[in-house]
Amino acid sequence: MNIKQKIVLLTAAVLLIGIFIVWQASGGVVLSKDGIWVKKEMTELDKSLGLEPALEFQKKFVLGLLPHTAVISGVVVFISAGLFFVFKTKKNKETK
Amino acid sequence: MKIILKTFLILVLVVSASLAQGFKVKATGEQTFNFEDKYKRNQASFFSSTPLEDITGISNDVKGKVTFNVSDIKTLKGSISISAASLKTGIDLRDEHLKSASWLDATNFPDITFVIKKVGDVKVSGDNKLEAKVTGDFSVHGVTKEVVADVTMTYLDASEQTKQKAPGDLLGVQAKFNIVLSDYDIDNMIVGQKVADNIEINANIFGSNAL
Repeated sequence: MNIKQKIVLLTAAVLLIGIFIVWQASGGVVLSKDGIWVKKEMTELDKSLGLEPALEFQKKFVLGLLPHTAVISGVVVFISAGLFFVFKTKKNKETK
Repeated sequence: MKIILKTFLILVLVVSASLAQGFKVKATGEQTFNFEDKYKRNQASFFSSTPLEDITGISNDVKGKVTFNVSDIKTLKGSISISAASLKTGIDLRDEHLKSASWLDATNFPDITFVIKKVGDVKVSGDNKLEAKVTGDFSVHGVTKEVVADVTMTYLDASEQTKQKAPGDLLGVQAKFNIVLSDYDIDNMIVGQKVADNIEINANIFGSNAL
């Protein structure tokens, strides 16, 4: 493994760890969401009526494992593998 | 003979009146509550599980009216419905799939409806709060089946506090029941995920007798 290949591997590992951290920070959900439900605060009257907290829909993108995190990770792995191969080939040619 | 008959009749009336369970409120007689809230604060939802993730779908487009004699909840009749197209699950693509012909077919069957047939097992669970088993016809995807819902109803007399929400007396309703998707000819695949055949349905709504 030459220095360029090591850089490719290291960059790929850092990117994959970064993607994983962002995914976890987004809630670590399986499927990406286009919106979320937020619990509204109950009024005394709602409690007297025996109601449960209502949910309010808010448009908000939530990064999920599928499809976004998996696709981005796949692209990173694919490009890294390609670069790894390219740099290996070049080194072999240089050796000859 | 006449005296015996009269006494028997009075006894029957007294016993049936004491068995009738209802609300002890200012209003008397038959009252009709409208659940169509212009601020869309009423909600009906479904809950389902898939191998990947649990799905909750919510609609704020609740309509319907119920009528009952305040002194006897067993006189309850009416219906509640939501529009199939208003259900949101948090994923736009899944919502589209939900409305499609293989699922709810919102174009041909725009409403999901519960029509009340009878009320049983009434229990008083608080001040003007009743719990009951409400049997009704639930229609979705053009198929109607009888279901039994666990319902809690709370009646509030009109006051300065209730005016903040809506005019008139208010009726809070919490209802829960389960359905089996295959009973309603619904394909239980949604965007590649197999959805559990058993779906829980909830309603968290209030109505007013002045709307």
